[in-house]
Amino acid sequence: MKKPISMASVELPRGLSLSSSQDKIINRILGDLLEKCPAQFILLAELSGQIISVQGETGKTGLVALGALVAGDLAASQEIARLTDQYQHAQLIFREGPETTSFISEAGDRMVLFMRIHKEVPMGWARLIILEASRKLAEVTSIPPGEVEKIDLQLSDEKLDTLIGDGLDSIWHE
Amino acid sequence: MYINWQLRELNLKIVYYGPASSGKTTNLEQIHRRVDASHRSDLVSLKTYEDRTLFFDFLQLELGKISGLTPKIHLYTVPGQVRYEEIRKLVLRGADGVVFVADSTPLRANDNIIAWHDMKSHLRSNNLSLDHTPIVLQCNKQDTLGAMALVEIKYLLHGQDLLGFPAIAVNGEGVLDTLKAITRSVITKVQHETAYA
Repeated sequence: MKKPISMASVELPRGLSLSSSQDKIINRILGDLLEKCPAQFILLAELSGQIISVQGETGKTGLVALGALVAGDLAASQEIARLTDQYQHAQLIFREGPETTSFISEAGDRMVLFMRIHKEVPMGWARLIILEASRKLAEVTSIPPGEVEKIDLQLSDEKLDTLIGDGLDSIWHE
Repeated sequence: MYINWQLRELNLKIVYYGPASSGKTTNLEQIHRRVDASHRSDLVSLKTYEDRTLFFDFLQLELGKISGLTPKIHLYTVPGQVRYEEIRKLVLRGADGVVFVADSTPLRANDNIIAWHDMKSHLRSNNLSLDHTPIVLQCNKQDTLGAMALVEIKYLLHGQDLLGFPAIAVNGEGVLDTLKAITRSVITKVQHETAYA
């Protein structure tokens, strides 16, 4: 029988762990951004491209791929900025198109925010509001969540091995 | 690593690293081909006009629940060509584990060594500890004439303790074994680090 995941206060060695309450605050910030801007859609990803939240009309957009590409785009732009002595915190990249414009913004040092807007939304306003949202998002993850869950799968290494092996076998076709 | 407790998702990043043309992209292509479509994303490849990796290849796998958590494994490759060194460093950012894909062709011995040291240097520059980042060695192209054995490549890399697998990735041989090994190593490490923190 599976044992429950235990609760404890723990700092993960690296990476990002979001508690349920942080997740709710993040979704509220993104909801406000979507409405106030207004944006067509917004995607928030962890800095290595793993999606945290998506809001708005995404249509047929491949979101998993988009998360990876947005993180890659930010990483490349940061590196370009470093190489050309332009690096500064709170980097903002925008891509202006004939119908829509998209922004990619650092949200603290652990997340990246992507937002797509219609061309009729004033750029200055969009820039102001995405930077404000990015600052708020960074605050949410900069404060330790306090009582958070820890990963204690309570499985022996052998059992974990078997579960992972079986899990991969079950989705694999020779 | 990113954990969302609301959704009970454990997101992990695994990077396939190695010298140019050692078979990193081939590994992801085989995984993409052999994994049920409902458990994987599309394969994203950013390639040059010569069909070589420019930035990275990317594929997400979703495993079934383990003790109530759903692991999502994000697989990336790096571009192997020498001129893309800075991009390799960027792709390694936030990696939870690495598969080093070595080319077993004897003539590529030096390329393996150079790529191995390059990887270690980039892990360090990304503040990733060499002692605590799971690394699995895959000795690919075992079907080439005079292919170096796993033990020879471990010796070359001074990695006798590395977990390693012989492979012919183009046929799918050794691809699943490698993937299982790195996934196990990463999840076991996450469990150990967090359970005893």
